[in-house]
Amino acid sequence: MTPAQCPRCGSDGSTADFRGVDDGETVWTIWRCNDCCFSWRDSEPASAIDRKLRAGEFALDISDPGRFPVVLQPSNFQK
Amino acid sequence: MERADGNLRSNLAERARGVGSLRDFLELLEEHGQAVRWSDRVMPEPDLRNIAVAASRDVNNAPAIIFDNIAGYPGKRTVVGVHGSWDNIALLLGQPKGTTIREMFFDIAGRWGDASAQISRVSEGQAPVHECRHEENINLYDILPVYRINEYDGGFYLAKASVASRDPLEPDDFGKQNVGIYRLQIQGPDRFSLMTIPAHDMGRQILAAEREGVPLKVAVMLGNHPGVALFAATPIGYDESEYAYASAMMGAPIRLTNSGNGIDILADSEIVIEAELVLGERVFEGPFGEFPGSYSGVRRAPVFKVTAVSHRQNPIFENIYIGRGWTEHDTLIGLHTSAPIYAQLRQTFPEVTAVNALYQHGLTGIIAVKNRMAGFAKSVALRALGTPHGLMYLKNLIMVDADIDPFDLNQVMWALSTRTRADDIIVLPNMAMVPIDPAAVTPGKGHHLIIDATSYLPPDPVGEAHLVSPPTGPEIEELGKRIRQMQRGDVR
Ligand SMILES: Cc1cc2nc3c(=O)[nH]c(=O)nc-3n(C[C@H](O)[C@H](O)[C@H](O)COP(=O)(O)O)c2cc1C
Ligand SMILES: [Zn+2]
Repeated sequence: MTPAQCPRCGSDGSTADFRGVDDGETVWTIWRCNDCCFSWRDSEPASAIDRKLRAGEFALDISDPGRFPVVLQPSNFQK
Repeated sequence: MERADGNLRSNLAERARGVGSLRDFLELLEEHGQAVRWSDRVMPEPDLRNIAVAASRDVNNAPAIIFDNIAGYPGKRTVVGVHGSWDNIALLLGQPKGTTIREMFFDIAGRWGDASAQISRVSEGQAPVHECRHEENINLYDILPVYRINEYDGGFYLAKASVASRDPLEPDDFGKQNVGIYRLQIQGPDRFSLMTIPAHDMGRQILAAEREGVPLKVAVMLGNHPGVALFAATPIGYDESEYAYASAMMGAPIRLTNSGNGIDILADSEIVIEAELVLGERVFEGPFGEFPGSYSGVRRAPVFKVTAVSHRQNPIFENIYIGRGWTEHDTLIGLHTSAPIYAQLRQTFPEVTAVNALYQHGLTGIIAVKNRMAGFAKSVALRALGTPHGLMYLKNLIMVDADIDPFDLNQVMWALSTRTRADDIIVLPNMAMVPIDPAAVTPGKGHHLIIDATSYLPPDPVGEAHLVSPPTGPEIEELGKRIRQMQRGDVR
């Protein structure tokens, strides 16, 4: 399967984690972005998984990971 | 309201004591019209979300909904709304449908504690949760019919999982084992992230394990005894056991067994995921639609690697709709947030007569208190802010007199209207605050507001107004009944 583009950050690196199969036929695939950890199912409404239709405030730019708060900061954590 | 004669009441109480698992409870709910099966084919998105939201609009009566025909998940079942209405909570407590929130509050408060707990042990071989076991090639998606809970969540969440763990530094202490509900985001076939804060027991354990470099193993229980689910979301003391509290409330034994990684788990849960913290690693987590009705943003959260999964045959995956209220989150957590604050306050201030922390997990709380002297209610409010939950959640506190029922908002509004003076509120700036408060400027910090809506007492100047005491009691109730009958035309 060709990797799908991430609807959230636009990365081309994604992994197919699971295929839903009914009566021998694939009905959807769950993808995971290798960069921003977004997961999605390709059968979801376009408003959630089409990058052009998703609400702008839910797009993600991970070029500066340091700006995301770290939950329970480990003592030796490298940002 | 169901006819609540003595017989029905004792039968209901007996039935509730017999509930030992999610399956038992679903059967009880079905008997009372409080669980329905949805067998039309549904898409994981958006159908499951839509149906769960539609049900949760009816906060008093909503049934649990069991889905057994989900596209792409042949043979799998999921249930939402198990704690999704006050009637479902009433049945769990052994009370008739229609029992008021206030009655349930005092019922729960009356059963509070762990003195009468009964814990029984089942060998792993006898425990239904271990009927099927996977130790290799684990793919969580193959086991759990997950779906996106809110449209812009960052992934697929297990939002009603009770996570059990031992204190990484004192693994032999039963009381210091923790059971808590923390949201888990699936991060690939055999990994998930966990979101919590340092104030919660799980947060303390993660910090301790990473500081000392020792392993932290967890057992994620899904589809649990409905009484334990309530206590997993309850702020009790760090060295107290959620299992013991749940047993005391149910008035019945809780059956435990061992998980494969050595943690005490419920013997009758549907599914248990065993996992270990990946020390020092953080992955992108969120957003997630949360109980204040807003998304909590993207953060970098701790991650766990799955080591094994056990489940019952034909397991039921239990999940929850959470978002802008009311939702199952509010009925699940509301009374069990209020009761511990009440119990903890009454240890020092027996004048406290009731606590309502139903709103947004206690972001607004209402406390009724018999004022011992002028200004007393304010000291009680400050004490409430020092309880485990008050610390980060009780943002707005309204203090009312004992003649006000804090569960009756008409009465609370009356107290606010008639008993407050705007120059007599307290704002405590820059305190610790749960990071998902949408009003936060700096998530994790915020202001606490105390509104003293109790009556003024000398030496405060009290003005000249005297209370009207309208007639109350059985005579007035009888008259009210007669008026309603006349309205219906039953009586001329
Ligand atoms: C549906 C639901 C989801 C919750 N999700 C989280 C969560 O993601 N993180 C968290 O820290 N607490 C969450 N909570 C709240 C905790 O379970 C609750 O505060 C509990 O008292 C924590 O226990 P602890 O203080 O023993 O850690 C959730 C509660 C419910 C009912
Ligand atoms: Zn991405």
